[in-house]
Amino acid sequence: MSSNAVEFVFENKIIKIKNPDPNETILNYVRLNLKKTGTKEGCAEGGCGACTVVLGEIKNNKIFYKSINSCITFLPVLNGKQLILVENLSSKEGKLHPVQDAMVNFHGSQCGFCTPGFVMSMFTMFKNNKSIDNELINDSLSGNLCRCTGYRPIVDAAKSLNHLSRYDHFDKDKPIILKLLKKINKKNIEITSNYKKYFAPKTVKDLKKILKKVKNAKLLSGGTDLSLEVTKKRKDLKKIIYLGSIKELNFIKIYKSEMNIGATTSLINFEKQIKKYYLDFYNILKRYGSVQIRNIGTIAGNIATASPIGDTLPLLMVLDAKVVIDGNNGKKTISINDFFIGYRKTKLKPGDFIFSIKIPLLKHNIFKAYKISKRFDDDISSVCGSFNLEIDKNLIKKVRIAFGGMSEVPKRALKTEKILANSKFSQETFNKATKNLEKDYSPIDDMRASKQYRLEIAKNLLLKCFFEIKNQKMLRINQ
Amino acid sequence: MNNENNYINQSRPHDSAIKHVSGHAEYTDDIKEPPGTLFGAIGWSKKAKAIIKKINLNEVKKSEGVVAVVNYLDIPGRNDVGPVYDGDPIFSKDKVEFYGQPLFAVAAHTTELARKAVLKAKVSYKELKPTTSIEEALKKNNLLFNVKKIKRGNASEAISKSKNILKGDFTTGSQEHFYLEGQVAFTIPKEGNELLVYSSTQHPSETQQIISKMLKQKSNSVTVLVRRIGGGFGGKETNFMTASICALLSHKTRCPVKLKLDRDDDIIITGKRHEFKSYYEVGFDDNGIIDGLKIKLASKCGMSPDLSLAINERALLHIDNAYYLKNIEVENYLCKTNTSTSTAFRGFGGNQGMMAIENIIDNISRSLNKDPYEVRKLNFYQKNKKNITHYGMKIEDNVIHEIFKRLIKKSNYKKRYNKIREYNSKNKFKKKGIAITPVKFGISFTTIHLNQAGALVHIYTDGSIYLNHGGIEMGQGTHTKIAQLVAHSFGLPYEKIQISSTNTSKVPNTSASAASSTTDLNGAAALNAVSKLKKNLEKFIKLKYKIFGKKTPIYKGGYIIFGNRSFKFEKIVQEAYLNRVSLSSSGFYSTPKIKFNKEKFIGRPFYYFCYGAAVSEVTIDTLTGENVLEKVDIIHDAGNTINPSLELGQIEGGFVQGQGWLTMEEVKWKDNGEITTFSPSTYKIPAVSDIPKEFNVEIFKDGNNKENVVNKSKTTGEPPLMLAMSVFFAIKDAIASVGNYKKIPNLNAPATPENILMSIKKIKKNRSYGE
Repeated sequence: MSSNAVEFVFENKIIKIKNPDPNETILNYVRLNLKKTGTKEGCAEGGCGACTVVLGEIKNNKIFYKSINSCITFLPVLNGKQLILVENLSSKEGKLHPVQDAMVNFHGSQCGFCTPGFVMSMFTMFKNNKSIDNELINDSLSGNLCRCTGYRPIVDAAKSLNHLSRYDHFDKDKPIILKLLKKINKKNIEITSNYKKYFAPKTVKDLKKILKKVKNAKLLSGGTDLSLEVTKKRKDLKKIIYLGSIKELNFIKIYKSEMNIGATTSLINFEKQIKKYYLDFYNILKRYGSVQIRNIGTIAGNIATASPIGDTLPLLMVLDAKVVIDGNNGKKTISINDFFIGYRKTKLKPGDFIFSIKIPLLKHNIFKAYKISKRFDDDISSVCGSFNLEIDKNLIKKVRIAFGGMSEVPKRALKTEKILANSKFSQETFNKATKNLEKDYSPIDDMRASKQYRLEIAKNLLLKCFFEIKNQKMLRINQ
Repeated sequence: MNNENNYINQSRPHDSAIKHVSGHAEYTDDIKEPPGTLFGAIGWSKKAKAIIKKINLNEVKKSEGVVAVVNYLDIPGRNDVGPVYDGDPIFSKDKVEFYGQPLFAVAAHTTELARKAVLKAKVSYKELKPTTSIEEALKKNNLLFNVKKIKRGNASEAISKSKNILKGDFTTGSQEHFYLEGQVAFTIPKEGNELLVYSSTQHPSETQQIISKMLKQKSNSVTVLVRRIGGGFGGKETNFMTASICALLSHKTRCPVKLKLDRDDDIIITGKRHEFKSYYEVGFDDNGIIDGLKIKLASKCGMSPDLSLAINERALLHIDNAYYLKNIEVENYLCKTNTSTSTAFRGFGGNQGMMAIENIIDNISRSLNKDPYEVRKLNFYQKNKKNITHYGMKIEDNVIHEIFKRLIKKSNYKKRYNKIREYNSKNKFKKKGIAITPVKFGISFTTIHLNQAGALVHIYTDGSIYLNHGGIEMGQGTHTKIAQLVAHSFGLPYEKIQISSTNTSKVPNTSASAASSTTDLNGAAALNAVSKLKKNLEKFIKLKYKIFGKKTPIYKGGYIIFGNRSFKFEKIVQEAYLNRVSLSSSGFYSTPKIKFNKEKFIGRPFYYFCYGAAVSEVTIDTLTGENVLEKVDIIHDAGNTINPSLELGQIEGGFVQGQGWLTMEEVKWKDNGEITTFSPSTYKIPAVSDIPKEFNVEIFKDGNNKENVVNKSKTTGEPPLMLAMSVFFAIKDAIASVGNYKKIPNLNAPATPENILMSIKKIKKNRSYGE
């Protein structure tokens, strides 16, 4: 049994929409149907944050808040969640929410167009964190662009929230909201809207059934990449299968020698776990995108889109992660190093989906990753380099190097690795190795970086890796 | 809030702040549409230079939801939106001159359907080779105007006699405005041929005129309203394309039409900051004092004149920044390129001129192995001599010496300068740099007639005030500041003043909200209206209550006080009404003292100057070119401020926008003229973590405008942007350390990680050959 309606909680009521257009974004729905125009469109690609809204999700009888970009999230994804807009923050009596109050008092708005987005990001930060520091503020607000203020007053507004009580009318209304959220159906969703279809199965078994029945459907996970087909290229996505409702795919299991991450685990949940094992992996994930993006983006999505600049990919390659593929062609596990076959092409066949990613938890290695971009936060890499070495008594026993942004797919530096493997750990060896990078890669010129610069950085990152290991300290200006 | 009813020199939140944070501030796209409203989209050229062979719009017309399609044939009047000169056709007829040039537009039942429809056009082009760079345009002599030459003294002779000579070239890049609210208009046809236009523009009056000319109607049939805009920065000063096309779609369909540009379209179609390239030769003595400067200043103007002439003029007027240039010769080339027309952007050419001279001074210092701070100071305009600019204006309000002195002390510059050198000698991969730079920026439109403004003030019988003026609220808080001035003048609580939408039917023939002059001009016009109303009230009181003599009353605490007799404002207004006294007045203002002969390039183009200075400290990574802005200290002169918090916001915001221009923002075009940086994923403006780790901004405590500007304040619109020059030169200082300060780094703006690394590489290469 399945339902053809999307249901969500808004202003303490359940809103039910039968067979909505599955390509409609939450932003357009909010502005055009709900007639709430506080949420703004700044870019329609999740790059400026003006459209930020907050979703409330139920877990263990608690409500968890996350900010998302409503401009690149499709309406049916709202199913089973609470939607909070900027208009909902003040109390019914019209009293401003503490985050709004702070923004007014610290002069955090000028033209005001980005302000609702900032307010929503700040709301989530405020509700989810007991203590607020600069690092948290930068992380929470890096996905919100402001062109007027220079951010200082916004940062000060955020800091001022630290000691304020988190209790607000959302806490007061929690029993009602929980009741309503629980009332929303637990069925699979199957939407038909004109010529478009949308499926949101609840189990892997149902997913397989749909995959068998529906050919050429697009698998939707976070949708931070896929949605641009609609919002930027103005295409129709005629068949969508949404994976986000399948609980079996949302897990992180940590074993002695490996971590197994379910396909739909959000990047933000993943980063918290990987931090303990590979600090640089965490550092790169923090810069993968804004909180809004990492709240819905998934690691499997990053792998499946196979972008040449996908930031997790070179890291997974040097760690020799495994991709667990499931579907109607049977379950199999392959190395990520064999997964990419060309520009945005992978070994996934029709009927396949990624089940999970397994990352080895190594003990005697040194793992490093660097991301070079024009802007530190929320930018796409010019080059992303990752290194995994095992050094024993000044001898390089094992080495893996991979780069993003250097080729049409994220790619290992096999020739360079050969020079390093079983060589002495010395500057001479690394100098020699850098020269080989030109044999491994012939990058392109584009708006992000020139070919020459890309090669230069790749070489320098290899040297940086060497000097960091040798001097046993991080040689980075941002950390 | 204040017992004294003193509403000036007082921080208060932006008038719309509560509406901003609660989502209730209404922008053009938020206005609820009446039933039957259609939604537009623009179809544009995919070639940068071509002859149009054929445009087939059949599929567009057939596309779902499309109601109307318009092209140049549908325009009854002028097919151009050029503000001063022609050259910006609304729809091109037979040729295209940039990638993104509008060809046609559609109105459909939804925005999504309209945007889908325009992609279905079939256009065949005969492609021609586009010109995309300054160098290429100079080579082909592709110029929009004759070369402009200005001079004072004899630069060639001075240089030939100089002990030291440097030659070089320097580029500052373009910049996309990236206002958060994109271009948008909403037009509603009314009775007969009347048209109501809502537009996100800095210039409602010109929007009105351009639409009237396009529709071949009188200006009095078109009304333009603007409540607020979501950022402008110059990008909405002349961009009349969106409102014009929207109006044309309304004209054709007789329906209300909303036209909102998608972010990509916005960046592709509309103009940006002028890239400038300068070629210079400078002669100087052993102290670094400039004897003579010859400079060729070339700018990338794009495909049409737009405001390029005025922008280049301001560059010429700021080639001195704060320095006395005894012998100077400048040639100015306005290059025509096949890119969207370059346009106004905060600084308006001034900043490009200032960067050129700052780079020369920096290079002079490095060639003499001196601290650039010393050389800057030595070249400053003096108070009683060396105080005439190269365009013949005597500088009477110079405070740069005082600001520099205070900032050097406050920032501990000298100690840090030495410490940084020590740090750099010990660190190989991380290098630090520091720089102090001055700002002197001239205030007034250099086109003299634009320096005028109007206002309209009503007193209603309950004593509440309605305020209207020609300025646009774009975030700078002009409405708040002018309401403060009016409240103060009436001695009334701020809350009594109602701010209203800028409206061409209330105040006509306004100038753009630009040139940093909005509050100066419109504030003065509003006060002029207030003074007329006060005169009416005073005349009435004197007559009725038999107060004789020339006594002028005090307005305070809601009372009008004549010596020991006081009259409650609300009561007297009611009485005045019953006695048939006018309670409504227009106001007008025109800036005194200014005149400028553009031909001879001589006169007083500016009413006054704004001053400021900044010290920036950076760290760069010599392996990757990444950089961090560690600390910034600023002292900026805002005169006697009306609202210190809003001025602080302008200073900080302007600085960070300038930081973006000079470090990370990079507009790129392919050789075929296609722009490749048209979205936030490819064009990066500063984000929250890019701002200085330590950011100390002080408003100059002795600030006071010598001229009679409202409240003796000084504007903070554009000038703070140039404070960011210090960031660029701090980066250059850090790069110089790689060559032990013996080589002059070759670095153009923006100083992206790539440009920094390449500059370092050149220095290293030079070193291995040279030393």
